[in-house]
Amino acid sequence: MSGATPAISVPDLATSARGGKPAPRLGGGLPLLGHLLDLRRRPIELFWRVRNECGEIGEMNWAGTRVVLLTGEAAQEAFFRAEEEQLDQAAAYPFMTPVFGRGVVFDGTPEQRRQAMRNQSLRDKMMRTHAETIAVETRRMMDKLGDAGEIDLLDFFSELTLYTSSACLIGKEFREELSDEYFRVFYELEKGTDAIAYVNPHLPLPVFHKRDRARARLVELLTDVFERRAKREGGTRELFDVLLQIRDAEGKPRYTIDQVTGMFISMMFAGHHTTSGTAAWTLIELLRNPGEIEKVRAEVDAIYADGRDVSYQALREIPHLEAGIKETLRLHPPLIILMRKVLYDFHYDGYTVPAGKLVAVSPAVSNRMPEVFPDPDRFDPARYAEGREEDRHVMAWIPFGAGRHRCVGAAFAMMQLKAIFSDLLLRYEFELSQPPESYCNDHSKMVVQLRQPCRARYRRRVTA
Amino acid sequence: MRISVDLDLCQGHGVCCSEAPELFAMDGDKVRVLDADPTPDHHAAARMAAKYCPTRAIHLQEEK
Repeated sequence: MSGATPAISVPDLATSARGGKPAPRLGGGLPLLGHLLDLRRRPIELFWRVRNECGEIGEMNWAGTRVVLLTGEAAQEAFFRAEEEQLDQAAAYPFMTPVFGRGVVFDGTPEQRRQAMRNQSLRDKMMRTHAETIAVETRRMMDKLGDAGEIDLLDFFSELTLYTSSACLIGKEFREELSDEYFRVFYELEKGTDAIAYVNPHLPLPVFHKRDRARARLVELLTDVFERRAKREGGTRELFDVLLQIRDAEGKPRYTIDQVTGMFISMMFAGHHTTSGTAAWTLIELLRNPGEIEKVRAEVDAIYADGRDVSYQALREIPHLEAGIKETLRLHPPLIILMRKVLYDFHYDGYTVPAGKLVAVSPAVSNRMPEVFPDPDRFDPARYAEGREEDRHVMAWIPFGAGRHRCVGAAFAMMQLKAIFSDLLLRYEFELSQPPESYCNDHSKMVVQLRQPCRARYRRRVTA
Repeated sequence: MRISVDLDLCQGHGVCCSEAPELFAMDGDKVRVLDADPTPDHHAAARMAAKYCPTRAIHLQEEK
């Protein structure tokens, strides 16, 4: 299928023979390790250094893995418009391979990913059902809160999004099998994404040992679940029950429980720490910026004043809440770098990135480029109001990536966040338990998480 | 009004097909514009489709 005429020259097979200059290399690397230690300590600072010292294209060295970072709207557009057959996702994230396990690819082939959108749970038609499922799960979590108390934001939203994602994407019966142990196991898996994996993802380090133990525990938990489900009478056959019943030509099971566990992890992973972290940061930002939480609460109160339930229709137009979430995503993108392996030479503006290297864009850098987002460090939801609409810059406002490499779950995630906050803010008042500036991310792992403690107090609202 | 779609951006969510079924249809994993030059009674629906497109792939050129 032919695409629209691109605004800039897009690299393609026909021109790949044409050699260009190599990308300038970032200085200051150590022997062998290159910039890996900076990546593990201050990754966002490292990416800004590439932009400031090399320009819109510059090369880092992560213990021998060469990563070419593209910044600025034009260079990022070249990345986002490139076909997945040229810029491949699977090979770019070696730290994920031991998490998913053998026989489970990162996210399927490009064609499989497109298929998933065509006939699966992320299409618009399914969103109406998902909205109701998320509302039910949010209310169940609120039932456990009682009248007043304190929560750890990371724990609370991790648990909630584990239930919402599994109920929407896998099955409602399967969701009932999950308990809070699962989100703790997931947390260990997420913490196991140390960038030292670019040296070797199986080094005998505590961080990788814990990761492997967490994965083994997950296989154990799920083995139990599937055995129980295989024996039971009645009930619905959900995704994993079907997968486990498939037999090959010799009558042996096509998928092992280890592989199905890997599928479970890969289905849940993309939507878990991302949505959970964004929910926590949204609450923090709304609470620490004067007037914001009041504005959103008044909006939510007005929408649900007639007593209607949280639903797809109700979630469509909640501009202040939506702007608050978007602004949170801009300032705290859950993925600070998006990477792809170059399968055939990639050209941009006279430069060539040869096959075999990685190319990357950084949402953390792009979302704060002052030429696109004036006063970039300020939390300012009015950026998205009519007239300004700074997210119109689809190649610069990139918490979900863009173009051919955009997150397929973006619409689901936005809907989910709006549903969660509609219910939470209708029923509870929140306040930060810690000094506002003490909330920060832990950047020591490739999967970014809030640093604990990150606590907030809550009190049930007195309503008529 | 002229409707155009940037197919590099379209991910096939199908929101436009729900908002304006007379103007958009799914064609495999991408959208197809059924009527790029809609009559005025369809302009409101076209604007909703462009507004709610999750990837902002739909561009409307409004006549002044």
